[in-house]
Formats: sequence, C-alpha cells, structure tokens
Amino acid sequence: MSPIVQGLITIIVGVGGCVGYFFLSNLVLDKVIFPPRGDDAGRNINRANMVRPWLFLFPALFALGLYLVYPVIGSFVRSLYNRSGDEFIGFGNYTTMFAEEGFQTAFFNNFLWVIFVPAASTFLGLLVAQLTDRLSWGNIAKSLIFMPMAISFVGASLIWKFVYANDPDVGIINAIRFALGATQPLDVLQLSFWNNFFLMVILVWIQTGFAMVILSAALRGIPEETVEAAIIDGANPFQVFFKIKVPQIMGTIVVVWTTITILVLKVFDIVYAMTGGNFDTEILPSYMMDYMFRDDGRATAVAFVIMIIVLPVMIWNIQNARKEMR
Amino acid sequence: MKTTYLAGVAALALSAGMTHAAGHLEFAPGDGDFNWDSYNAFADANDLSGQTITVTGPWTGLDAENVEKVLAYFAEATGATINYSGSDSFEQDIVISARAGSAPNVAVFPQPGLAADMASQGLLTPLADGTSDWIAENYAAGQSWVDLATYAGQDGAESLYGFFYKVDVKSLVWYNPEAFDEAGYDIPETMEELKALTDQIVEDGGTPWCIGLGSGAATGWPATDWVEDMMLRTQSPDVYDQWVANEIPFNDPAVVAAIEEFGYFAKNDDYVNGGASAVANTDFRDSPTGLFSIPPECYMHRQASFIPTFFPEDSESDFFYFPAYAEQDLGQPVLGAGTLWAITNDSDASHALIEYLQTPIAHETWMALSGFLTPHSGVNTDLYATDTNKALGDVLLNATTFRFDGSDLMPGEIGAGAFWTGMVDYVTGTDAETVATGIQDRWSSMN
Amino acid sequence: MDNIAGTKSSLSIVTNLSVGFLVLLWLIPTIGLLVSSFRDRDQITESGWWRSFSAVEQTFRIRADTEDVRREGDLYVIEGNIFAADEFTEIEGNQLDTIAGFGGTSRDPQGTEPGETAELSRDRTLTVQENGDYRYTSPEEIDREPSIYFAAQTPPDFSLENYETIMNSDNMDRAFINTLTVTIPATIIPILIAAFAAYALAWMDFKGRGLLIALVVGLLVVPLQLALVPMLTLHNQIGIGQSYIGIWLAHTGFGLPLAIYLLRNYMVGLPRDIIESAKVDGATDFQVFTKIVLPLSFPALASFAIFQFLWTWNDLLVAKVFLPSNSESWVMTVKIADDLLGSRGGDWGILAAAAFISIAVPLIVFFTMQRYLVRGLLAGSVK
Repeated sequence: MSPIVQGLITIIVGVGGCVGYFFLSNLVLDKVIFPPRGDDAGRNINRANMVRPWLFLFPALFALGLYLVYPVIGSFVRSLYNRSGDEFIGFGNYTTMFAEEGFQTAFFNNFLWVIFVPAASTFLGLLVAQLTDRLSWGNIAKSLIFMPMAISFVGASLIWKFVYANDPDVGIINAIRFALGATQPLDVLQLSFWNNFFLMVILVWIQTGFAMVILSAALRGIPEETVEAAIIDGANPFQVFFKIKVPQIMGTIVVVWTTITILVLKVFDIVYAMTGGNFDTEILPSYMMDYMFRDDGRATAVAFVIMIIVLPVMIWNIQNARKEMR
Repeated sequence: MKTTYLAGVAALALSAGMTHAAGHLEFAPGDGDFNWDSYNAFADANDLSGQTITVTGPWTGLDAENVEKVLAYFAEATGATINYSGSDSFEQDIVISARAGSAPNVAVFPQPGLAADMASQGLLTPLADGTSDWIAENYAAGQSWVDLATYAGQDGAESLYGFFYKVDVKSLVWYNPEAFDEAGYDIPETMEELKALTDQIVEDGGTPWCIGLGSGAATGWPATDWVEDMMLRTQSPDVYDQWVANEIPFNDPAVVAAIEEFGYFAKNDDYVNGGASAVANTDFRDSPTGLFSIPPECYMHRQASFIPTFFPEDSESDFFYFPAYAEQDLGQPVLGAGTLWAITNDSDASHALIEYLQTPIAHETWMALSGFLTPHSGVNTDLYATDTNKALGDVLLNATTFRFDGSDLMPGEIGAGAFWTGMVDYVTGTDAETVATGIQDRWSSMN
Repeated sequence: MDNIAGTKSSLSIVTNLSVGFLVLLWLIPTIGLLVSSFRDRDQITESGWWRSFSAVEQTFRIRADTEDVRREGDLYVIEGNIFAADEFTEIEGNQLDTIAGFGGTSRDPQGTEPGETAELSRDRTLTVQENGDYRYTSPEEIDREPSIYFAAQTPPDFSLENYETIMNSDNMDRAFINTLTVTIPATIIPILIAAFAAYALAWMDFKGRGLLIALVVGLLVVPLQLALVPMLTLHNQIGIGQSYIGIWLAHTGFGLPLAIYLLRNYMVGLPRDIIESAKVDGATDFQVFTKIVLPLSFPALASFAIFQFLWTWNDLLVAKVFLPSNSESWVMTVKIADDLLGSRGGDWGILAAAAFISIAVPLIVFFTMQRYLVRGLLAGSVK
C-alpha cells in the first residue's frame, strides 16, 4: 500500500508545489519587489514584465538543463574519448565508425525509416482524418485507428510477430500466401532490404493514429468560408482538399511530421524485439544499444550522429517558429 | 496441419511453475538422505537475524522458483531475509545498477566474461580467503573452476571473485525415446554414426534435427555452443583455448572449419525442421517441442542440460552425449557452463551466503528439485530428482576433456554480441569465412 | 454541403468503403492476438485464429494397459477403450468421443480408418472402433505398453486460462500498482511545468526567446539513452537513488521538450486579439495565462496528457534504469518483458494474454477520455 500513499503524496506535493511556486513567485514579484505603486509604478511594471518570463520558464529550464543539456554535453565530451574513457582521441570514434559496414547499414536503414515512417503516417493520418470528417461513424473509426497508440512497443512487436510468423497456421501473411498457392513458408523478416519495411509498418500502424487525431482537429479548425468559396468557384473535392485545406493546415502537418521523425530516431524497441538487429535490419538506436555499457565512446558518438540527422528537420522547425513570431 | 502435441500437455505446461512455495521449506529439515548435519552446523555458526540480502540473477520462471526454494533454507538457518529477483536482461541490469551504486548484495553471473569485466572496474568484492582452496579441494576439477573465477581487480591484483554454483553440461543431444524406438534408431556412438543416422532419418522421410537460434536480443547464442562443440571435436583443447583467448584469429581455418561443421547440420534444408531458413528465427525455447509432436517434427535436438525445463510437461525425453569423431583422436570432450555467484555489494551476510553455498545441503536441496548439476564431490548423488540428472552427472565424470563455454569467456562484445549476430548471418546465407573475418575485425578493433 | 450535387452519393459510398477497409486493416493484427489469447497453446499452432471457431483435428497418444493382457490361442491381446485411458480422464473438460483415424506409430498416427485393422511390424495388429474401443494383438509377449495414436476432432476451446496464469503469477498485482504510481505523477507534473513555459515562449516578449525555442526543438531529439547513466549517477549522489522520486523526475525531464513544443505550437495559434485586449484591460500575464490561455488550451493539455500517460505506461527503458531491479519494484512492462517472456518464449497464448493485460488500462483510459479529447479538440482552433 505504501507506494500508493507515496504516489498520492507526491501528486499533492508535486502539483501543489508547482502551482504554489508559480502563484507565489508572481505574487512576490508584483507586490513586493516591483510593486506598481508610487513614483516608479510604470518602471516597475516594465521591470516585472522583464523578469516574469523567466519565472514561468525556470522550472522547465531547470529540468531540461539537468536531464537533457547536461547529459548531452557530458556525452559529447565522452564521445571524444576511447572505449575505456582514459584517452582523448578526438573524432576517432566517429571516423572508425563510419568506416564500419555494420554502421553503414544501420545508417542507411535509419535513413529509410526517417523518410518512410513520418511520410506514411502523416499521409495516412491525413487521409483518415479527411475521410472520417463527415462520416456518421467517424469517431468510432478514429478511435479504432488510434488504438495502437495505446499499445507498448513491446506489445506491438508481439502482435506483429504473430502476423509475420513463419508457420501458416499462425501467421496470417503466410496463410494468405498459402491460400494463393505458395507451398514454402516465407519469413518476411529475413527478406533482405524489404524486411526493413515490414518493421516500419509496425511504427506506421502505431503512429497513424497520432497524426490523425492532431490533423483531424486542424481540419475542423479551417474556416468554413474558404471551403465554401472554393466550392462555389467550382472546385471538385480533391481540389478543395489539396488546394484549400492542406495549405491551411501546413503548420500542423509540420508539427506532426517533426514529432514522428523524432520518435523514429529514438525507437529501438521494435527492431530489438523483432529481429535483434539481425538480417541487416539494424538502425542507429539499436546499434547504439549494442555498444551501450560496452564501448561508451562509440555509443555516445552514435547518439550524436542521430542528432545530426535530424538537424534539417530542426532548422525547418526553428524557421517556422520564427515566421510565426513576426 | 498435423502439428500436434500430447493431449493435455498445454494445460499442464501452462500451470507449471505457477505454484509458489509460500514461506515453507520444500523438504523438512531432518527428512530424507540430505546432509542435514551441514545445515545444522551452518545454522549454529551463523546468526544474521534482521539482515537482508538481495540477490539478482538470470533465472526466471521455474528456475527462479527453485532458487527461491533453495535460498529459503539459508534464510531459515540464519534468520536473514533474502530476496531473489530474476531478469531476462540480467546482463544489462547488473551493469546499470552497479554503475549507479545500487547493486544487489550478490549477483549470479551466467557469463564469467562479464564478471571479469566488472571485477576489473572494481565493482566486485573478492571472496573470503581460503575459498579458492576449498573449491580446489571439494569440486571435481576444482582448480579449473578456481581459474575461471579468478580475475584481476581494479588495482591489477588477481583474486577469486566468484563461486560456481549450478553447472550445465552442453554437449548433449536430446531425443524422444519413444520415437527412436518406434523407428528403430540406435544411439550413435561416434560423430560418423550421428551423421549416418541423420541421413537415415531423411531417407525414412523424417526430419532429423530441430535447431532454433531465436532468443530475443540474444538471438544466435545456441549456434555458438554448436561451434564450440565442433571445435572440441575437430581440434585439440589447446587450439580451443587459443581461439577463446584470440591467440589464433577468429578466421583461422580451424575455426572456419568448425563453423562449417555446424553448417553441415543447420544449413541443410532436409536436416532441419522448417528448413534452414527457419533456424535463425525459431525461438530456442520453442524448437525442442518438435521432438514430442505427433508425428515427430524432428528426432534430435542439441542443447544444454537446462533445456528439459522447456519441454512440454509429462513428455518422455532422454539424451545422449554429442559424440566425437572416431577418426580424430580427441577423446570425449565435454562443453559446459556454470553460473558464478559474486558479491556486488559487500556485507557480512553476503559472505555468509557464499559460505553457505559450500555446504552440501545447499547443493542437495536444488539437486532434489530439478535442472541442477554440481561438481561438489561431497554430496549424495542419490538425491538427484531424476535418473536423467544422474546420467548427466556421469557425462561430466566421463569427460576426458572439459572446456567452459567459449563465448562466455570471450569479451562481452564478441561472446555476447558479434559472435551471436555472426552466427545468424551464417545460417541465413553468408559464408563462414566472411562471418569469421567480421567477428575478428570487431575483436581487433577493441584493442 | 461540401460536395457537388450528383457526385455526393457515390463519393460517400467510396468514403465509407475505404474507411471501413482501413479500419479493418488496422484491427486485424490486434484481433488476431486477442482471439489467440483465449485459446490454448495446442490449438494456436494447430489452426490459424481466423479458423478458431471451427473444430480442429488433433492427434493424441495413449498407452494400452499391459495389465489387461490376456491370451487368445497363440495371441496376446489387450482390449480397452481409448477414452477410458488414464491420459484422458485426467484432462479437464475433454469432450472427445469420436475417432477420425488411428495408427500404431507416430510416423503414421491416423492413417487407418476406424473399424479397420492396422498391420504393425512383427505381425502385431491394432483395431480401433469409432467409439474408441480398441484391440491390440501380438504373437509375442507384450513387455512394454504399446502406444496407440489417433486423431479426433477437438471442438474450439476458448478459456480465460492464459489470463488466469498471468494474473496469478507472483507480484502481478504489485506491478500494476507500481505502474500506476509511476504513471500518474509522471503525467501531471510535466504538463504543469510545460504549460507555463509554453505560454512564456508563445506570448511573452523577452530577449533570447527565439534561442530558447530553438533549444527546446533541439532537445526533442536527444536520445534519452544518453541521459540514463549520468542521471542515475547523479540521483545516487544526491541520495535519491533508484526510487519513485527519481523516475518521476526523469519522466518529467524527458517529457518536457515535446510537451513544451506541442503546447507552444497550440498556444501560438490562439486568437491574438483576445489576449491583447485582456492585456490592454490591465490583466497581468499570470491572469491572462490562468484565466484565458489555460482554459482555451485545454484540448491540447488533454491530448498531451493522454500521450504522456501512454508513453510512461508503456515505457520499459526508463523504468528499468530508474527503479530498483528487484521484483517488488517491477512495473508491468518490466514484469512482462523480463520475467514472463523470458520463461515462456514460445507460448503464444501466454504472450498474447500478457500483451492484452498490459494494454488494458491505456485502452480504457483512451476510450473513456477520447470523447472528451475529440470534443476538446473541436472546441479549440488549431492553426
């Protein structure tokens, strides 16, 4: 029972603490340090407004700094040292890594993942969002497609192992092949190159629901007038969708795309559980896990390569954010 | 399809191992032919009331229950509280918790290589003085067990860090006596006969072997045992030792030949259940069930002594020694492995636990359960739960050469990494030479 | 109203069909596992789940009892009934009563029709009737119990056995409570912190705002594996160690970038005039935030809460690192991955049931919250 009590206390202390922090710090700022009274009233309001953002940001920045920035910097330094961490070797880890065939495979596969999974999930999510928009049973359909989001990667891998199983009495893929006249079972996870896509399908299956929920909300937010105007002008449904709706929700599409891309770069569970990185299906996060706790220099170097891959997406996002601010 | 099992097997298998010994001891002290004197003597000498010992190890399921039952005697004798936790990813967990400084008191290593690694980082505590003498005296082939557990510490000084308790014999072929009997097959005495039997079974329209390398993230390891066994059957033990220590390269012709010997069985579509392509992805726990299906999906399964835990409940099984070539004069080599108990978080009670493992009763209580072999020479071997276990003990005794599982001795990156994935590449098509060269490259890059 | 008259009906049929097809495609894998979780291990490998509602032909073996041997002239004979054999009476709830075929060797376990006589090696014979009566004859003395193989139709067998096995396994209830204890605070705390930060980044003017946004976006991609070991070491140094507090903080830290990113993107899209007019009226930022932005952002908060909940519930890695590795502190994912899967590798029924137990709560949360979620999303306006 004690963990429950402990949990309840934390919820109260944690949540109460957060609310209390934000409320009290504002109170102190407004009433005590820079009270908007007396001669300096105007100046004090301005000063308080300069400080306030940092009050709002402080807890987040503190947690981010501690849990993400500090390890990133520490790890970058670590990646410049050799496996036991006692000799500085500059970019030695990076150069040996890039020369290695296993890494090249992982890099190439990861490239496929980053292109295919976000594209397919976003596209399918958009498609479902649009199709279910005016459907009487649209919400039910959406819930069902969203459902895989609730399943852990380990659970999802299990579900798909079942689909891909070699035995035509277990795996539906092979059962269909047999029904169509095949005589030898086929292990799709061993089909070189294409097996990557069979693994990606799992993540697409999970993430389409996410894309759908967000994009569906965005579609509903489009002002009716713009759509009506287009219809009056004689646009067909496809034109309405691609020329009127999609451009208006571009911002949301970017968000969805980015979120899924980031997820792709972190997920190692699927590859780990389905193939253990065998049959040339290794991707960078699972490659990194191979070296984790064995050769930390190499493992951290892989992490930085992952971060560099997303750089274009990051820059795109930052530019977007800039545009909005203006 | 006609893949079938004995009726009721499933129901029993599912409920197997779910009963929990709630606090009481499996065999009441004083009953049976156990060495209760050793128990009483230990109980009198040690009082650890109020202390708690945490133990982590690789065992889950039935094995975890067994170890809990065995450790319950220690708790009963000393008054200490003892908690065992088993995890399928023990190798990762122990490194994480040791680095974090929250290691359990005692860890049970399935791989001496990992223990040596941790010892060199100062994460293990050397065992009490005199333990090595005790092992050398009381274990069969005692000195070799001492050597396997003696590592250099952080300061470079060598000391004994681990105590072997629970040993597995690996050079075994499991079969279903009923199926052998019906088909009129005899137990092969030599590798030549084994190969002839393999062909005979194919001729009779059957499939000789069940081989499965699947094991989640550890996929591939069963193949390393095959290769090691083949090394011992084609090369002298010295060459084996040089290979394990990387004194000869991994892509030495001797090693490549041993890999190809494994491929002789595993890469032949007629020889393995499901064809060669099924080998890589079939779960190793799943593959032996083919022995017991009706009609048999296969007749033989080469695996270590722990595998009956995964057989369908109630199934009749037997094993024979994985034979050596008659034409090679290499005697009767046996490949084995064992779990190593080491202290990861020092306390008096942890040392007492290691001391307890030296009493005959600690061995006998597990012998009487299942899946346990011991080199302890002072135990009553009549207590082995089954004749099979007793016969396994004989394999150990008849061995002219005993070698520890090589992949467990290699550095983790090779023995628990490159070697595994290399074997998967090999069974899925890459040739032995390329695979071996790849593994050697990884090994070279570590230095 | 958004369709051109005339194409409307055909378009709506196409829409209905294609949505139906997609939903079906999405459901098939899960349904397969769900159906399998109620079947027993034999039947799973015997026939695909899509055929699970029809009877399956299974092969069995019994042994004739040598105690019943009698002599008939030169022959040694055993007679009995298959369904009366010990092997059968032990099986719970078996409903077999008809033989489809039989045989005397495991190679050919069902090649002979009931009523006919199978000739076995060494002049032995075996006859089995459809009702299970058998007669085994041998010219020589019978020293070991002969095996009789037969095939019979087994009716579909659905049961909760797999679920019971898992629920009864040690510490499962404990794991469930542990998971809840980890999940709830780890969902609420980051949302609260992120909401304030997101507001500051969206609607407050200060130097370095662009830089901070860039930083948050950049931190999105940090593989959290990087942070595991350094953070754990830090937790140990400050005395938290492997504990719930540690894992709550860790989930908070790892969840923040996405929370801030999503919430800021949402808040930026809120109508500028409402916020600006409130400020003109003299509302402070704190008031604007709590009275206007927070209620308006509710849909985004709710959806992020759902995502963060699912993420922490399903997390394996963080739990393994930041919680002690003893069985009392295992959460459900660890329990399933490290304990259950390891010891029962090939047992599909158990694995399937384990998967469903672990997704039950997220599904319940999702299905109860989703109305709320969708309604919330409709009320807001996303740019």
